[in-house]
Amino acid sequence: MVLALVVLLGFVVALLAVLVVGLLRSHAEILRRLHELGAGVYDDEEESGPGATSRVELAERPEIRTRPGVPEPRVVETGAHDLTGVTPQGAAKAIGVVGTDHSTLLAFLSSGCGTCADFWRAFAAGEADALPGRDTRLVIVTKSPDAESPSEVAALAPPQHPTLMSSEAFDDYAVPVSPYFVLVDGPTGRIVGEGAAASWSQVANLLRQAAADAGLTTEGTPRRAGGRLDGPAREARADAELLAAGITPGHPSLYPDTVETVEHVPGDEEDR
Amino acid sequence: MSRIQAHGLRVDPPRGWDGEIYRRTPEAPPPSLAGRSVAAETTTPILHLANFALPAVRGDYGGGAVERMGRGGIFISLLEHPPAEGASALFSVEGVPWPLAADDFSPDTMQRTIAGQAGHQSFFTHQGRAFCLYVVLGSYRSRALLVREVNAALAAVAFE
Repeated sequence: MVLALVVLLGFVVALLAVLVVGLLRSHAEILRRLHELGAGVYDDEEESGPGATSRVELAERPEIRTRPGVPEPRVVETGAHDLTGVTPQGAAKAIGVVGTDHSTLLAFLSSGCGTCADFWRAFAAGEADALPGRDTRLVIVTKSPDAESPSEVAALAPPQHPTLMSSEAFDDYAVPVSPYFVLVDGPTGRIVGEGAAASWSQVANLLRQAAADAGLTTEGTPRRAGGRLDGPAREARADAELLAAGITPGHPSLYPDTVETVEHVPGDEEDR
Repeated sequence: MSRIQAHGLRVDPPRGWDGEIYRRTPEAPPPSLAGRSVAAETTTPILHLANFALPAVRGDYGGGAVERMGRGGIFISLLEHPPAEGASALFSVEGVPWPLAADDFSPDTMQRTIAGQAGHQSFFTHQGRAFCLYVVLGSYRSRALLVREVNAALAAVAFE
């Protein structure tokens, strides 16, 4: 009977010893994993005295990649700038972007890139005539005439939106690739959105999202104040009325041999 | 500072302003005048400045642009005339007409009257070149305030 108790006690002791060893091994494994994760449980002692120390080298963060076919975001962040350059017709032009009371969507395009074609088409079709946000203005930017053909850009540029040829603008905004879009909030002069997209519908969705985040209208609104016809619209109406009256281009009544004129001096106050 | 220069004109538009220096492409004579001796159209440089977004298509005197102006809007057009006109009495004033005064603006001095707006027009000769200055303010009542911005913008115009 006594012998049986001794054997049982020995068995229990051996079992407990195995459990303790197992617990110690488990604890050591946990500490090792914590070190690997960078939890420096001994950081306070690392420089001041002896003890177990271990330096963990974090692996280099994997490079962020975009999906194939979608340009990567620009590496360098810049502030917003006013733009200068030339129009495809050769005029020197400055466009205010910072300190304005409207937002500006800068569309950095190229006349040659395949992805840009959808944007040129959408702009020409009037799909960007009414943009969400703070009276948002679309400005198309290409590189300067030494890098782009002005005649090709002129053929693509929609007449209702300003198109500026300016490699300086590409540099100022650190544009990585075309097409690329930057949305600037005029009153604050902050860049509130930017990125690349494969189609205009994607950009339009991002614009609506950015406008909603900023508490601005997400419905597209035409930029013209309304109420009166603007220059081109007035001209079109005049053309239509002349055509309706049978007066076509080159009509003799437009080029009379003699014209009765009244002397008018715009500088004369009484004449106004 | 965003400087633009062309056709013997240079300007540093104030921050946030639009500006353009251009010369219209001469239009071809109409077909009805084919075969007749017609003098070629002479186009001259034009400078536009505005503290609002200038529409891409607009008239030399701001048609299509001033209709969009708010009450704080300013539109400036500096139009050069052919040298032959510089000898006429219209351009007898020598030197630039700015700085302008608030009373230089009138609601009647507009290419096309727009309620609330006011305009200024003057003709002058500078460095042997004949110019017309045409300025529109979005608000006649605020002319004393707006004319300061006008003068600041015009002070940045240079002739080369």
